[in-house]
Amino acid sequence: MLINANSNTNRTEILINKYLELLSKGVKAERILVLVQNSKKKKEFINKIKEKSKEGFIGSLKVHSFWGFIREYIIENWPCVEQELKDKNAKILPHLSGLEISQYIFKKSIEEVDFVGYNSKTSLLHQLFRRNALINLNNLNKDEVEERAKILQETYSNEAALAINKYKAKTISLRAFDYIRQINIFEFLYKKAENYFEYVFVDDADEISPCTLAYLEYIKPSVKEFFIGYDEYGSSRLGYLGAINVDFEDFLKMKASKPFSSDLKTINALKIFNSIKEDKKIDIENIETKAFLKRNEMVDCVIDDIAKLINGGVKPSEIAVITPLADEFLKIAFEKTGFSFNFISKSEKLNQNKYIGYLLELLKIIIDKNNKMISPYVLKGIFIEILNIKPKEAVSVVQEYKTKYELQNINLFDLIKTKDDEKFKKLVEIYEKKRFENLSCILFEIIFNFINLKKELTKEIIKINQLLKQICDFEDVFGENFNKEDLIIQLENTIISENPLSDDEIDEEAIVVSSAQKIIDYTYKTKYQFLLDVSSENWIRQDIGPLYNSWVMQKKWSKDTFELEDNIELTKDRTARTLYKLYLLGDKITLYSSVYDYLGAENFFGIDKYFEYKNEFEKDEKKNIKPIIPRKDQQEVLNYRGGLMSVSATAGSGKTTIMLLLVDKILSGEILSQIEPKNIFVLTFMESAARNFKERIKAKYPNIKELPNISTIHGLALRILKENNNYSKLGLDYDFDILDEVKRSNILNDIVYKVLGATDKAELYDGAISAYKNELAIYDKFECQNKLFLKVFGAYQERLKSENLIDYDDLLALSLKLLKENDDVLKYYQNLVKIIIEDEAQDSSAVQQNLIMLLASKSNNIIRCGDINQAITSTFTNADTQGFKDFIKKSKNVVMDRCQRCATGVLDCANNTVEFAKYEKIDAFSDLIMKPVEGKNIVDKNAVTCSIFEKEKQESDFILNEIKSIIKEAKKNNTPVSIGILLRSNFAIDKWAKILEEGGIKTYKNSDNLINNLCYRVCLLILEYIANPYDLKVLREIARELYEIGFYDFDTLKYVNSVNEPIFLRDDFDEQFWWDMNYFLYKNHYSIYDLICEIGDFYFSSMPEADNIHLVATIAAKIRLSQKTFEDAVLRMREVQYKNSFSNIKFFKNEEKDLKKSKVSIMTLHKSKGDEFDYVFIPELIRDNLCLTPNDCKLKEKSTFIQKIKKYPKDDFQLKRDITEENYRLIYVGITRAIRKLYLTVADSYKFYAKDKKYVNSEIFEGVLCEK
Amino acid sequence: MRKIDTFSANSLKILDKSFEEFQNKYVYNLSIYKKDKRTQTGQKFHNLICYYVKNFDISRLLLDLSSEELRFWKGLEEKLKTIKSKFIKTEYSFLTKESLGDKFYYLTGRFDGILQNDNDFIIYDWKTLNLPLNPCEDLQSVVYLYVLSKIYNTNKIKMRYLSIEKLNTVDVEFSDLDNYKKRIDKIILKLPWFNSLNSLDNGSEFQELSF
Repeated sequence: MLINANSNTNRTEILINKYLELLSKGVKAERILVLVQNSKKKKEFINKIKEKSKEGFIGSLKVHSFWGFIREYIIENWPCVEQELKDKNAKILPHLSGLEISQYIFKKSIEEVDFVGYNSKTSLLHQLFRRNALINLNNLNKDEVEERAKILQETYSNEAALAINKYKAKTISLRAFDYIRQINIFEFLYKKAENYFEYVFVDDADEISPCTLAYLEYIKPSVKEFFIGYDEYGSSRLGYLGAINVDFEDFLKMKASKPFSSDLKTINALKIFNSIKEDKKIDIENIETKAFLKRNEMVDCVIDDIAKLINGGVKPSEIAVITPLADEFLKIAFEKTGFSFNFISKSEKLNQNKYIGYLLELLKIIIDKNNKMISPYVLKGIFIEILNIKPKEAVSVVQEYKTKYELQNINLFDLIKTKDDEKFKKLVEIYEKKRFENLSCILFEIIFNFINLKKELTKEIIKINQLLKQICDFEDVFGENFNKEDLIIQLENTIISENPLSDDEIDEEAIVVSSAQKIIDYTYKTKYQFLLDVSSENWIRQDIGPLYNSWVMQKKWSKDTFELEDNIELTKDRTARTLYKLYLLGDKITLYSSVYDYLGAENFFGIDKYFEYKNEFEKDEKKNIKPIIPRKDQQEVLNYRGGLMSVSATAGSGKTTIMLLLVDKILSGEILSQIEPKNIFVLTFMESAARNFKERIKAKYPNIKELPNISTIHGLALRILKENNNYSKLGLDYDFDILDEVKRSNILNDIVYKVLGATDKAELYDGAISAYKNELAIYDKFECQNKLFLKVFGAYQERLKSENLIDYDDLLALSLKLLKENDDVLKYYQNLVKIIIEDEAQDSSAVQQNLIMLLASKSNNIIRCGDINQAITSTFTNADTQGFKDFIKKSKNVVMDRCQRCATGVLDCANNTVEFAKYEKIDAFSDLIMKPVEGKNIVDKNAVTCSIFEKEKQESDFILNEIKSIIKEAKKNNTPVSIGILLRSNFAIDKWAKILEEGGIKTYKNSDNLINNLCYRVCLLILEYIANPYDLKVLREIARELYEIGFYDFDTLKYVNSVNEPIFLRDDFDEQFWWDMNYFLYKNHYSIYDLICEIGDFYFSSMPEADNIHLVATIAAKIRLSQKTFEDAVLRMREVQYKNSFSNIKFFKNEEKDLKKSKVSIMTLHKSKGDEFDYVFIPELIRDNLCLTPNDCKLKEKSTFIQKIKKYPKDDFQLKRDITEENYRLIYVGITRAIRKLYLTVADSYKFYAKDKKYVNSEIFEGVLCEK
Repeated sequence: MRKIDTFSANSLKILDKSFEEFQNKYVYNLSIYKKDKRTQTGQKFHNLICYYVKNFDISRLLLDLSSEELRFWKGLEEKLKTIKSKFIKTEYSFLTKESLGDKFYYLTGRFDGILQNDNDFIIYDWKTLNLPLNPCEDLQSVVYLYVLSKIYNTNKIKMRYLSIEKLNTVDVEFSDLDNYKKRIDKIILKLPWFNSLNSLDNGSEFQELSF
């Protein structure tokens, strides 16, 4: 019997009825093999048999999951295998162990094989695991593996084979076989044994794996009849999950019955399948789509939608939330709702459960022979969570331990044996009597004595049992031959791939949150399906890595090559099958997408592209948006109809607005025909500009589902590397990471010290490495001659390779290389990219420009906007302004020279600067002279004030007083104003902030420092308090910060400042502040991520800080991973506070003008680009800060050093000219930030190491201003 | 709450002893995993006997036994070698459906071995722990004798407990099918979802329990 029908039919019922029919005819149950997909299906199948069978003996059922059957088969026939083995390690029963054991064995095997030059040692284990699984699942022999290695041009196939062989030998010697290894044993066995089964039932046969199919093929001649149920459009587990697409009609040589194929659901599901396969959009009535910019907006909406349903009487069990990203972010958001959620497929580390985490920590403490210092944070958690000690006492004992350990190296158990609490005594007893026993024995004692077996802990107890079982398994397999501490570390890192561990964990009254695959595997039918994160790449599984390729490693792979197209088609096919199956399980489906993921990085390659988005542009109501009437110079831009165009736009000319209008026109099809958002690429210089641009489009079109591609060039390069597994063509592993600033500086410090023995040269090499990579990307044949540099460079590259990292320069260089060397990839993007619009083109590097030209070379539609007069990065980055100048020459150049921002006097000042440079024969500027817009600019010929002071203090007093009177005036007129102090270097920011703060003026330091972020600051302070509850200074700082944002009142601040003794142990206080601080002190989150989320959620509810909570939590969690203890992680968070970003995570910022108008912004001149203020102060304009005469310019070692590694190095004279030119442009940028007034100031002397030192004023005063 | 409707001899023993204990162990899964040496030895012997009876070559498997275990095995083998051909089943699982008022429950378990002597059947049960003190009353005897009598539709059955270590045996003769059933029913009626008087609802969502 062969039934081709989907899960929406009663296919399984038919099979069960047939099964019962056989029983009623007298066939014995043990002669009927039933194979189903998994243990849940097995349970359901058996339940149906039970329900439908008659009273009496039903039989000895042989109903198995695909994998369970293999396991049973081995147990039944094991002596046949043992008989073949020659060693002395015979076992009556082998260890049919879990993946954690084989992971351990694999790790040891890899250590014995040298993968010279392999990219990622960290993912090697994962890669080999998958390779081994695919070889076994597909039953590939040695020749077949070698053949595939040739097809894939693998570099490491020999090493991989060696490692796998070593692994196999070890598993044999230990008799330890995970489910993949069991396949080999099974195959050996069934060929020896006689088939016992007369009848075979297989349900969900479309998900069958090749090894099971091979078995069925083998026994086929001796089976009387097969009963197979499958869905020809199924096989959602194709790829590395091991399903195989089988022609069952050919297998049974019979036609399948298709009993139910005309119901609407099936028709729609097929529509989905076919649409995806044919690249058509899916438009089905019961599928709704909702799109958001940020992930938290999306999650908030889902929560609202769920609440509406539940409040309307829908049962939680009728709702499924389906997402590949059931992460902490989602978990925490859902937990806050108060509804019951059941996360059934979140793979998690064992110690993510706090009981497990603390139990493992306690085990470590008990077996420790060296009396290592125990993290007070962990100890507190153990006392409170495991021993059930009262929090106050726990904190107190922990603090006592900390002090006594630091002073006398006291042993914890010596300390707690002096305490009265019986639980401490019990723990001491376990320590004294059991610490030399097996880990499982110690753990059992702890659990037995301290864990209360109560109903509420059911889920925890399942996990605790899992832990115990894993430890027992290790002890069984390895006996005494493993290091206990190693094992604990291994256990801490064990990922539970099977989650829930048991069906008992499933709460049937809860809203299920699951991956699509689990919903399909469990045939989990619900009325409402909410598909989350559909814009995320994680919806589409990738099945390829450097050492495995799930497609080519299929048994039936017959092509000689593997092309990009193959991967695209096969992945699409699998996605079509997954979404087809998923659709059948829900009645009403809503898709939610967001442009950004929760860290603010852009989502790409989701499944959203397959769905029809109703309410696109033309249907959007463009209300609340004032129509913009372009000026004549702006209109030129909008007249664009294709080809190359450059836009030279002066400061304040409304460039961003016009670009937005232009994108709007392109989207509406007015400019280019047959264009979709996905074909439009807008490249910005800064991430914040991209975000801003997207937000503005989104604000204009609230219902827009698919935005054009708006990103930085680095964002685009990352996409190119990731899309369609392109990274594998460059030998990168799937989990390659981008080196962040903190790590880069650590690595360079380390290398430079090792190679040169120097501690202060890392920064020098930092710039040089970047420049060198740029040179390598541009010039094909080039190697620098500086041997020392090459040594550092080599070591740096090696380090990146071994940690599977690439840096920002690699991002561009590698994507360029990829496109140049792979025609198929290049064609793909050339077809996709129909227009590129680049902003800030004057700052574009040569590599970047090459990349843009290559991508757009088919459409040839490129618009590059910029202002040569504002090129202020070329002396310290790889910016190639000449490239933009050349582009202007060969393209249609539109000039937007009208500036409506600045007062007329400011405009004059800016134009004078241009003239002055020309007069001095400095080629700093283009000929662009800014003109005012009639009726728009403030007419004030005296808008610029230039002041030279004798002393530094006079200058600062002047500025302080000016600001005070500006603020006073603004208050009087009730018209808030924005004020900016623009400085030459970062170092001066703190100094000026201090001057203003002491003068009673609030400041906003606009820098990307981590510590400049309020959420980071507050969370870090509270973590510091938790780490040191006696530290009153920290408490006062917390009170001050939170008073500043209005969380606590002034009385609290006063009170906290008046307290002189540590009072966290008191409980007679009535201040809310103490309650809050105690709450966090007593709270035991094993994970620092959860702790920060709780702190953040408590203090921040408004944007952007609420958006930043998870970013801070992620940074902290990443830091925690690299540090031994919680306390070390807190210290490290403080150490990196002045870094601009961590792990490339960029905070969401408040772009609101309100902030600017309530505080004085202090920033560097460089940072001010793109910004504007009513009043601008540019102080400290000494020649050292702004030299406008080439001969007087001082060259930094870094600048000259970089030239040494270049193909065409510049001499010192040219370098000095470059710096002078850039200084001109820098002051020009500063000047053009001012709307109403501009103040340029300097003093003749400044403090230098506490002494007054004379300085020469910048030429700007002589030239530009004196002329005025 | 999960309404358990499938029982093994062991779970019935616990239910017989205390409903709360049954509930904690089987409904809420509140028990801690423990693997002791004795259970491991028991497991080894169960498999070894099964392979031996099925005529596998077990010579190499014996390498896995400690000297004490080997001594046990020698004795056991001596006892089994004359009867091993008469075993018709080893490690044989069963599932039966029983009515109780208007409801059904299921009995499940696994016979270590079933030996047939013409029309007589002996259920063998290998014990590493002590033999039951009161074997006739032992619920394992009750359930196994009841089920086997249903499978083969015969009364000519006995249950034989064999100590692996001491090699002594205890036999329980089949007595009365109805009494067995009544005894089992009585225990199951302790569960509120089977006893309509105690039952808060007529829920029919029974779940199977994996033992």
